[in-house]
Amino acid sequence: MMKEGNFGIREAVYLTILVLITKIFYTSIRVVVKTTGTASWYSTLISCVTSIVLFLLLYTLMKRFPGKDLVQIFDKVTGKIIGKILSLVFVLYFIYYAGSSLREFVEMIKAYNLPYTPPSLILAAFITVIVSLAYVGLEGISRFAVVSFYPIMVGILAILLLAVPYYNFNAIFPIGGYGISKTLSVGLLRSSAYTEVVILAFIINSIHGVKIFKKTGLISLGIAGIIISATILCSLMAFDYPQGGENVSDLFQLARIIYFNRFFQRIESIFLFIWIMASLVTVGATFYISLSIFCKAFNVEQHRPLILPFSFLTFMVALEPKSLTEVTQRNIAFVRTYSIFILYLIPIFVLLLAFILGKKGAETKHAKG
Amino acid sequence: MRKVSLLLITLFFFFIMTACTTDGKEIDDQVYALILGLDKGVDNKIRLTIQYPTYKGGGGMQKSEGGGEDKKSGQIDNTVVTTIEASSILEGINLLNTVTSRRISLVHLKKVVFSEYIARQGIKNYLEPLARFREIRRITQIAVCRGSAEDFINENKTLIGESISKSMELMTSQSQNTGYFPKTPFETFYKGILSPYGQAYSTYVGINDFKHLKPLSEATAPLRTEYPILPGEIPRTGDLARETIGTAVFDGDRMVGSLNSYETRYFMMVSGGFEKGIFTLEDRSMPGSAIPFDVRLGRKPKVKVTFNNGVPIIDVNLNIEADIGAIQSRIPYEKLERIDELNDLIADIIQNGIKKTIEKTQKEWNTDIFSFGYQAAKHFFTIQEFEKYNWLRHYKEAKVNVSVQANVRRTGLMTESAPVRYSNQDVLSEEK
Repeated sequence: MMKEGNFGIREAVYLTILVLITKIFYTSIRVVVKTTGTASWYSTLISCVTSIVLFLLLYTLMKRFPGKDLVQIFDKVTGKIIGKILSLVFVLYFIYYAGSSLREFVEMIKAYNLPYTPPSLILAAFITVIVSLAYVGLEGISRFAVVSFYPIMVGILAILLLAVPYYNFNAIFPIGGYGISKTLSVGLLRSSAYTEVVILAFIINSIHGVKIFKKTGLISLGIAGIIISATILCSLMAFDYPQGGENVSDLFQLARIIYFNRFFQRIESIFLFIWIMASLVTVGATFYISLSIFCKAFNVEQHRPLILPFSFLTFMVALEPKSLTEVTQRNIAFVRTYSIFILYLIPIFVLLLAFILGKKGAETKHAKG
Repeated sequence: MRKVSLLLITLFFFFIMTACTTDGKEIDDQVYALILGLDKGVDNKIRLTIQYPTYKGGGGMQKSEGGGEDKKSGQIDNTVVTTIEASSILEGINLLNTVTSRRISLVHLKKVVFSEYIARQGIKNYLEPLARFREIRRITQIAVCRGSAEDFINENKTLIGESISKSMELMTSQSQNTGYFPKTPFETFYKGILSPYGQAYSTYVGINDFKHLKPLSEATAPLRTEYPILPGEIPRTGDLARETIGTAVFDGDRMVGSLNSYETRYFMMVSGGFEKGIFTLEDRSMPGSAIPFDVRLGRKPKVKVTFNNGVPIIDVNLNIEADIGAIQSRIPYEKLERIDELNDLIADIIQNGIKKTIEKTQKEWNTDIFSFGYQAAKHFFTIQEFEKYNWLRHYKEAKVNVSVQANVRRTGLMTESAPVRYSNQDVLSEEK
């Protein structure tokens, strides 16, 4: 049995929030603004609420099998073979997620800062840190998330506040965006942008059981929803909907236009600092989760020997897309629009199966709280 | 094994930290363009002019070695001005790198100047690289030049202080002190080009040939409180020929006209960009006497757009605050019972000026540079409905109501003017 260590609700919340919100640094805002226009800021709240509902269904599953993580539940409900296949799907998904996020990061840093540096060099440097984080383990990643959380939040807040002179509140009109049906359909599908909260189901035993799982998930989703919505709102107010859909990264663009006087301008270096930290937490956590699921599914006690093969796989995923267009329009579009079908619907399917087959876990010390 | 791994990782990071990548650049290895001018080319699409510092003596106006002006070699105030024709902006700059020993960087570019000719033809082709190229920040100011951009840049010098870069930034900030021209960072300008809510405008610049200042004469001059000044027309002499005054007005990416200095102030008052400026008004009780006021916005302008039988109605409410700069007639307007005369005078003049300016943008160009469309958009539920209505097309049909409330807040360092005494007049200072 793999030992991952324990950490408190605060660490779990910080870690989950960071994994959820890192996408605001990338192309995510642009896509939402492009597809839902002036309704983008509340369309993401629809996604968040949808995700909360789906998360509560996941919670029902976890509650039904106290003391068990999602891998064990898959095995118990669907049998060892199908359970392992389902776990492998999650392993592959999280490697794909880590690799795609990593490549998106590399493409962005090349677009804005290091246009001529070979991407493999940036990837290698980044993966070295990710490997170090994975080597330390989940507890180390959660502690790193705690350390990074406050600078990242202060940085985001600083960018959003300092760009105030560019805001025009009336840019949120026409309030209906491209229409209610479009906003709802995009809002529901884009709940995929909040699916990362599912990682809690794989580390449930490290966060002291289902009650903390529920609390952590709901708090993280709520706060992440507010942060993402606020960032989209600020981008919309600064750029209007036609231009907001043009920028590679709206938040970076927001940081680049901050200008107060000769002495107070060009502050996007703040952005670089927090952007890299947030990306490290996100890619580090998802990379570790893929390792963790694999180890749990195949009863591997030590995850460390697997770090190098998994980092090689992540590196491959990251190198596979040919261009920024391919990363954003294929990899990231899949992750942020369709991942709901993997991350939420598989556990919900397992929950239904558990109901039908009448399968249930035993009461444990963890579940009693 | 662990020690070896740590050593390898440390060495790897040292390797990266020494900037051993193709993006590592010494600050001194580059030359930072200050201003970029775009004219229509003769043999190719674009004639591009850039000015960059020579790093000799800080860019001052010393007539010493390395400083001063030598137009033949392109040296102006320790900067170099160079012009090239090319197929695109980026390639033009690349071509110029064959002339300069240091790579030309645009990261500190302060201003992009379009000649009026190409601005009137349409500038979307030129905006594209400016919006896309990572070196150009969207805080770079955009201006349209009466005449050629090349000539304007050749006159871009500083007489005060040594740094031309500082001088250019301070010149932009003069908008706050005068209200004679708007600040137009690329972000604002580009947003205007793409926006369905309003249209773009930019700073208007030009070169003065110093022929507008008439020779001294004994004849009595009339008091002219408002006059339509455009860049290059300020009646003055001096060494600096460049001028920034007025607003270039765009419909889409094409310049369609311009606002003079006072129209620009009215435009900025309505759009909320006006910070302060001196307005000289004629004393109604003593025509020919001037009352200069230091005027500012009391609060943010209130703009409301409603629709009546499909006709848009724009209501503009302004609250203006003013301090008295002088009362040439020495009439005691500061008194409580007379202060409203000044309030009414200011309100009337500004209200009238704003009405005329809005009317001009409606009738002459149908260009909503005020961005009233943001308010109009509140009456539409979806973007499709709003875009189908096309506010920019219907702007000219709007009825405009302007209401200005003025408050003279302070009277300067005097609370009233004591009368001037002449030998042939009896003056009694006792108040009745």
